[in-house]
Amino acid sequence: MTDLLFLAFAAVTIGAAILAIEARDLVYGAAALGIAFLGVAGLFFLLDAAYVGWFQIAVYIGAVVVLILFTVMLVGPKMGETPLGLKRVSLLAAILVSLLLGMTGALANATAFPGQDSCGSGCDLYLLSTSLLKNYGVQLEFMSLVMAAAVIGALVLSKTDRGQ
Amino acid sequence: MEPLSSFFAVSVILLGIGIYGLTTKRNAIRILFSVELIYNAANLNIIAFARLRNPPIVTGQVLVLFTIALAAMEAAVGLSIIILISRLNAEIDLSKLSKLKG
Repeated sequence: MTDLLFLAFAAVTIGAAILAIEARDLVYGAAALGIAFLGVAGLFFLLDAAYVGWFQIAVYIGAVVVLILFTVMLVGPKMGETPLGLKRVSLLAAILVSLLLGMTGALANATAFPGQDSCGSGCDLYLLSTSLLKNYGVQLEFMSLVMAAAVIGALVLSKTDRGQ
Repeated sequence: MEPLSSFFAVSVILLGIGIYGLTTKRNAIRILFSVELIYNAANLNIIAFARLRNPPIVTGQVLVLFTIALAAMEAAVGLSIIILISRLNAEIDLSKLSKLKG
């Protein structure tokens, strides 16, 4: 059952990611990106990280994809789509980089990390929230500070000077 | 349960798709798509690696929560920069922008 679910989520994620990069229309690309985020959230659920999965759905699909769609509407969907001559070389480079990284990962998995899947009942919300607020409270507050700075920066950047 | 290496494989494939998009596309919004895909590959990798410890620790999940929040902020700032670029120029083709060149 989980094997089938894993295969389904992985196929949806990878296919939607390719579609997001390669779709003609940017609106379809943004929708495919949302589906890829949904697939990654499903993989999080399979890894017993349910809270992170819900967080991913709320933040990525609820905020980021909607933000991208608004920007596409504001900027116009047809802008800046000039083809590049280097396409085949870059595809080769991407394949080579992925192969290298995959070989590194397989090597690391074979030698340095012999343990498999020791999560069990330890990955629940109680442990996560306790760790987040007790051990990483200062970092959480810093994160909210960075978030405030980012929001103010975005507002300043996109402000129009109508008064002058 | 699938072995964890298959999750690593999905993560590497997502990273490859992101690098392909970064190198071949010139539209700023599509480059942002690629960056978000690379973020997701990293998050999947961290969550999968967090399950290897015995006894289990949840630091990986905390780290991914921080990463998702940072990615959302990065998208907000990047999209406002894209809107600014589209207001200053006629297009958002990154290979043709030279306003910031010294």
